[in-house]
Amino acid sequence: MISPVFAAEPTDIYLTPSPTAWQQVAPLCSRSSRRWMAQIHQLCLDAVLQWLRTDYPRAIATPINQVSYWEFVDGCAVELDRTTHPLRLVFIPSTALDTSELRVAQEWVDLPSWVGHCYLPVQVEPDDGWMRVWGFVTHRRLKQQGVYDAGDRTYAVTAEQLIQDMNVLWEAYELCPQELAQVPLAALPPLSLAQAENLIARLGSPEIVLPQFELPFAQWGALLEHGGWRQRLYQRRVGLPEQWSVRQWLTVQVSQLAEQAGWERIEVGSMAGARGSGDRTSSVLLSRSLHIAEQSYQLQIFPEGAMEQNIWRFELRRLPTSAETDSPSIPQGTKLRLLTEDLQPFDNNEATAQTTVDRLYIVVALTPGEGLVWEVEPTPEGYQREILRF
Amino acid sequence: MSLPFKLVLQLNVAVSTSHCGMRPRQGLVELFSTFLAFDADRVQGWVADARLRRRMERCLTESASPPTSDAFWGVYWHKAWQTQTDRLARDHLAAYVQEVCYWVAHKATAYLERSPDTISDCFQTTIAQLDKVLQGFDAKRHFSFKSYANLKFNSLLKDTLRQRRVVDICTPWALLLKLSKRRLVEALQTAGVSADTTQRYVLAWDCFKALYAPAAPATSTRKLSKPNRTTWDAITTLYHQRAAQLTDRSRVSPDTLEQWLMTCATAARQYLYPTWVSMNAPKPRQEDSEFLDALGQLDTDTTLAGLEAQETRLQADQVSQVLQVAIDQLEPSAQTLLHLYYVQGLTQQQIAQQLGVQQYTICRQISRIKRSLQRRLLEWSQETLHNSANLDVLESVSTALDEWLSVHLASSLG
Repeated sequence: MISPVFAAEPTDIYLTPSPTAWQQVAPLCSRSSRRWMAQIHQLCLDAVLQWLRTDYPRAIATPINQVSYWEFVDGCAVELDRTTHPLRLVFIPSTALDTSELRVAQEWVDLPSWVGHCYLPVQVEPDDGWMRVWGFVTHRRLKQQGVYDAGDRTYAVTAEQLIQDMNVLWEAYELCPQELAQVPLAALPPLSLAQAENLIARLGSPEIVLPQFELPFAQWGALLEHGGWRQRLYQRRVGLPEQWSVRQWLTVQVSQLAEQAGWERIEVGSMAGARGSGDRTSSVLLSRSLHIAEQSYQLQIFPEGAMEQNIWRFELRRLPTSAETDSPSIPQGTKLRLLTEDLQPFDNNEATAQTTVDRLYIVVALTPGEGLVWEVEPTPEGYQREILRF
Repeated sequence: MSLPFKLVLQLNVAVSTSHCGMRPRQGLVELFSTFLAFDADRVQGWVADARLRRRMERCLTESASPPTSDAFWGVYWHKAWQTQTDRLARDHLAAYVQEVCYWVAHKATAYLERSPDTISDCFQTTIAQLDKVLQGFDAKRHFSFKSYANLKFNSLLKDTLRQRRVVDICTPWALLLKLSKRRLVEALQTAGVSADTTQRYVLAWDCFKALYAPAAPATSTRKLSKPNRTTWDAITTLYHQRAAQLTDRSRVSPDTLEQWLMTCATAARQYLYPTWVSMNAPKPRQEDSEFLDALGQLDTDTTLAGLEAQETRLQADQVSQVLQVAIDQLEPSAQTLLHLYYVQGLTQQQIAQQLGVQQYTICRQISRIKRSLQRRLLEWSQETLHNSANLDVLESVSTALDEWLSVHLASSLG
C-alpha cells in the first residue's frame, strides 16, 4: 500500500470508505468501462454524503439514483438542504494520479436543471482505498475562466484556478451565498415526442459507444434533461425491460428502478388506520413518499374501478407529524399536476389547494400505453421527472 | 481587486552552519544570483552565476533608491518573467528559491522511509517544478513569492513522489487510466510530439478510456494487461467514428493505435522523471549584448507592490498578533494538534496513529480549527479594512492563514 501521506494537504478533505464499500455490486451500465466508473461514482457519492452529513444532516443526492447520468457523463450531484439558500454541489471523481486540472462535462455546466453552484474534483485511489476532495470552483468561474474543449465537450480549469480550501466554500455559503450564484442559463428548445422517440430508438443501441457525440449538444441536452427520457434511453442501452409500467407494478411487482426511485406497492388491507379509503375500489395501490418544505407527503396512484377501464386516480396527502393528532392538512397553494410525456398540459390536469385541504387529487382516463409525468409544487426534495406508463 | 491585507512573511530559514554546510546568504545580490552546489548528497556551498550577479548589481546601482526587501525583487522578477521583458528573470527566481527548495526536499526525505531518493534528488525534483510555481504565483493573490513557492513546491514534491511510486509499479495500460488530459498533453509536448499528432493521440486515448477498464474497483488498477484483440478493434472503430465527427477521415489500424498509446504511456512516464535541466549549475557563457541592456524602467505596478510590501510589514505583525491571540484561546487539544501538524511537521496519518484515531478525524479537526481561525482573521480584516465578505476576500484570508501557519507558526514555535 502506498501511504497517502504525500497526498494530504492541509486543505484536502480526505475520505476513506470502509473496505467493504469497494466490494459493492457495480451499477448496471452498457459497457464494462462505464460500469467501472459508475462504481467509482457510487463510492464517491456515498463517502461524500457521509462527510457532508456531519455538518449538513439533510444533504441528499439529487436524484437519489444517478446511474442514468453515469452511463453518459462523469459527476454526481448532492444538495445541501437549506430551503432559503439551496446549495447544489457536483463532485467529479477521477482516477488520475495528478491533480493538475478539473474537467467538467458540458451537461453539468450548461443544462439548467443539472447545473451546480460549485464543482469539486475528487481524486480516487481504488488500490489504497482512499479519495480526496482537493478544491472547488464556482459555476460562474468555470463558465468565465474554463476552457471549453469541443473535442470532448468539457470545460476545463487548471488546478491554479480552483480554490483549494473547502472552508472558503462553507464560509461563503454562510456569509455571502450570493457569491455562489450561478450564471443564468437559457433553456434549451424542447424536443417533440416524435423527435425524442427517434433519438431514443437510435441512441439506445449500446453499439453506439458515445451517443452524446452523435448529435448537436442542444438536442442531446434536451433529451437528457427530461428525466423520463433519460431513464428510457439508459434502460434501452443496458437492456432492461420497461421499468415504468404502472399496470405491471400493480399486478406483478414494482420494478427495481421504480423501487429505487421510492415507489412501493401497498395492499390496502394492510394500511393501518387508512383514512378516507371509502372511495377506493382497488385493493392494491402504488405509493411513494415525498418531502415538501420539511413535511412528509404521500403520492398514491390507483385505478378507479377495474384496471381495464384505464381510469386512474393520483392523490396527494400529507402525513401527520408526531406532534399532530388531527388529520394533517395540505397548505394553501400546493399544486398537483399531470403532463403528457412531452410535458404538455391537458384539460383538468391540475389540482390546486385554494385553502388548506386534506388531500389533492386528479382523475384521468387514459388510452392504453399512454405515458404521464407528475409534478408537485413546491418541488419535492430530490424530485426527478419520470414517465409512468398506463 | 484589492486584497484585504497583504502579508509579507519572511521565511526564516535559520540554518545552523553545521547543518549540511549551508550558510545563510547575505544581501540581495547573493540571494538572486547564487546556487546550491551538491557533492553527491551533501551541500558543498553556494556558487555564484556571474551573469546574474552582474545583472543584479546593475539593477541596484542604476535605480535611484532601489527597494531593499527581497519580497519586492521576488515580485519584480516574476513580473519580468511574466511579461517576458527579461530573459534572466527565471534564473534570478531559481536562485532566489534555493533554500526553499532545499528545506522542502529535506522535509520530504524525512517522510520517506527506505526511499531511494536522496536529498539532492529531491532537491532537483523540486526545483524542476519551478515553472509551475512561476505560473501559479499571482502577486495580487499571494503575499510573497517565497512563501507561495514554499507551499507550492511542498505540495508539488509530495505529489510527484507519490505519483512516481505508483507509476513505477503500473503497467502502461494502467498508467493510461491514471492520467488527466492536461498531464497527457503536457507529457506529449515535452516529448516533442507535434500539435496535430498530439490531437490524434489524445483522441485515441479518449477512445481507449471509453472502452477499457479494470474488472472492478476491488481489483488492482495498477497491473492491467494489454487490451485483447476485440477491445482493440472496438477502440479502432470508435476512433474512426470520433475522428470523422471531428472531420478527420484518415484510417488507422489497431496496431497503429496500440503504438500510439504506448507512446503516450512512455511519454507520461518520462514526464514524471525529467532529465535535469541544468538550470542549477551555473554555466559560464560568453557575455552577449543582452547583459549590457540598460535596465528598463520599473513599472509603477511593481513599484507599488514593493512599497505596499514595505508598508504592510506592520500589518503582517498585526495579523500575527490576531492569530497568536486566537490560537492562545483555543482548547489545549486543538493547540496540540496545530503544534504536531505545523510545528513538528507530522503527517495527518502519523498524528492519527499517535492519538489512536482515524486519519479523517484528524483531517476534520484541523479543518475545523482552521475555519475558526479564518473566521477570526476575517472579522479582524473587516473591522480594520471595512471590506465585506466575498469569495476573493475569503480566499485571500485562507491563503494568508495557510502561509502563516506553515511558515510563521512553524518558525516562531519551532
